[in-house]
Amino acid sequence: MVVDQERCVGCWSCCVICKSENDVPLGMWWNRIDTVGDALDTPYREQGELAMHWLPLACQHCENPACTRVCPVGATYSREDGLVMQDSGRCIGCRYCLVACPYGVRVFNWGRPERPTEFHTGMVEPRPLGTMEKCTFCVHRLPDGQVPSCVWSCPGQARIFGDLNDPQSRVSRLVRERGGYQLLEERGTDPRVFYLPPRRKRGLEP
Amino acid sequence: MSAAVGSGPSVGPVDSAATGAPVTVAPAQRTVNRPLALWLGLLGLGLLIGLGAWAYQLSQGLEVTNMRNPMMWGLYITLFMYFVGLSAGGLIVASAGRLFGAGGLKPIVRLAVLEATVAVLLAAIFVLPDIGRPDRAWHLFRYPNFHSPMMWDITIIVVYLLISLTYTWIYARADLARRGSWLALGTKASEAAQKRDERLKLVLAGVGLPAAILLHSITAWIFGLQISRGFWYTALMAPLFIASALVSGTGLMIILALIARRTRRVAFRDTLIAYMGKLLAIFVAVEAFLVFSEMLTAAYPGAGFEGDPVARLLTGRYAGFFWFEVGAGLIIPFALLVVPRLRRNLRWVAVASVLAMVGIFVHRLNIVINGLSFATVPYPPGVPVGTVQPVGTDSFALSLFYYPSWVEWLVALGVLCFGAIVFTVAAWRLPLREAVHG
Repeated sequence: MVVDQERCVGCWSCCVICKSENDVPLGMWWNRIDTVGDALDTPYREQGELAMHWLPLACQHCENPACTRVCPVGATYSREDGLVMQDSGRCIGCRYCLVACPYGVRVFNWGRPERPTEFHTGMVEPRPLGTMEKCTFCVHRLPDGQVPSCVWSCPGQARIFGDLNDPQSRVSRLVRERGGYQLLEERGTDPRVFYLPPRRKRGLEP
Repeated sequence: MSAAVGSGPSVGPVDSAATGAPVTVAPAQRTVNRPLALWLGLLGLGLLIGLGAWAYQLSQGLEVTNMRNPMMWGLYITLFMYFVGLSAGGLIVASAGRLFGAGGLKPIVRLAVLEATVAVLLAAIFVLPDIGRPDRAWHLFRYPNFHSPMMWDITIIVVYLLISLTYTWIYARADLARRGSWLALGTKASEAAQKRDERLKLVLAGVGLPAAILLHSITAWIFGLQISRGFWYTALMAPLFIASALVSGTGLMIILALIARRTRRVAFRDTLIAYMGKLLAIFVAVEAFLVFSEMLTAAYPGAGFEGDPVARLLTGRYAGFFWFEVGAGLIIPFALLVVPRLRRNLRWVAVASVLAMVGIFVHRLNIVINGLSFATVPYPPGVPVGTVQPVGTDSFALSLFYYPSWVEWLVALGVLCFGAIVFTVAAWRLPLREAVHG
């Protein structure tokens, strides 16, 4: 997946549809939008000018995930195609993966799930109390050739889904041409989510 | 309470067994030991309260703790580390004494081995309330993933528990056989058996020492191998854990030795306490050196992945804990123990020991809290808390102020009481006096 920070307007549509698509209870989020800087939805100062950007954040589906390494029972694992999955039936709830993940995108079922309404879509299995869950890239949608919900719901089309192994795919080209970067690249996790940095713009007057 | 029925607190059948005389317990001697009964009764009450709190936690989920996604480990893991340390510390002191001829420690070797056994048992138990699905704990044996430091730790804990149980039993079996106890498991007390046991004890010390060091190193690696946590990611983690294990383990041994002597379970001269006080001073100094070395290395660049957590520890929200660790846990015990006149005073050694133990507990708390409670991607709003928040409170947090909930305190109390019951009963029933030759 490629996330274009130039296009993201920080509207949280992706996060909200993710919750209904995957039946994520209140208080838990698989997807969130961080604001670059020190305060939510507030510009930060860069080289004397003000700038405002967002960082949509969900599981980075790393090629070298810290979480799968530390799981004592192998409840989180990498699929053949590179997706990092979570087996709720095997998870013992030790939360070591949550400790190990550098992105803070895993969520634990601390209590019984609460929901404003029952918007259960029936497409995703409910996760039991005391286990871990996280973004699956909407794995239930992929076999039909559909993209993850956060991708099609984005009003700014800031998310692009595709095959990073294919050098001719749109995602690969974008990463090459726009200088796509990985979040916390220095930790060596090699995420399969690339961010396209915002282009310099005429700054707002401070 | 049947456990409270036995000999008087002073001279009982166990003590005379240590001298080798055959013992028969006359029914008339079986009177109720009031202080012991009261003590066990209180501990039993604490255990019941802890079980109740755990049952409540099981029914509600870990929501009733104050742990959340931005601060996912808390008191249970801290106590897990702490008890692994107490166990490793106790066994290292006992085994090193045996291997390197620190013969002065011999009178309390059995006490140390028993302490190591009970402490590692408690450490293993503390894993259960921490995990979300204790009903699936068997998955650890069914689906082990040996890439995980936690799996290494489970393995070494099981091995180490077996070693320390064997250790305890080998030390006690000749005396148990003399007493005619079924716990001797058919061993005979003879001259030849005693020679064989002496050799076995040496072998066990040789196995026990590296096992104890490995046990605590692996526990350190659960934390020290995590590249996402700058405060933990240091090669010094294992040596630091060994040093802190020696401090807390020796501290506890001094306190237990003094209690065991007062209740006439063991006998030794005051010089042994002074000697252990000297050891403790050395261990505290090594711990202080490692902590300083670690802090300086991380803080020197002024900021960054490793520097920021250290800056937070020195001046941030939890700075009080760190300065307590330094002052009450390192400086004061060292100052007390380094003065020979104070070191020969049992009371001051006891004070230093308790301070050092509390200091190491706070040290472990600092490692867990400061390592975890700050979001690794530092942009707002931060990590989803994970539970429904009251209106007006944020559902996300960059950092969560953690203090254990009452459920966590009560569960911890229950586990501690359970450990104290096991230790008390074992110390009361097992022969703890080691024959000192020459």
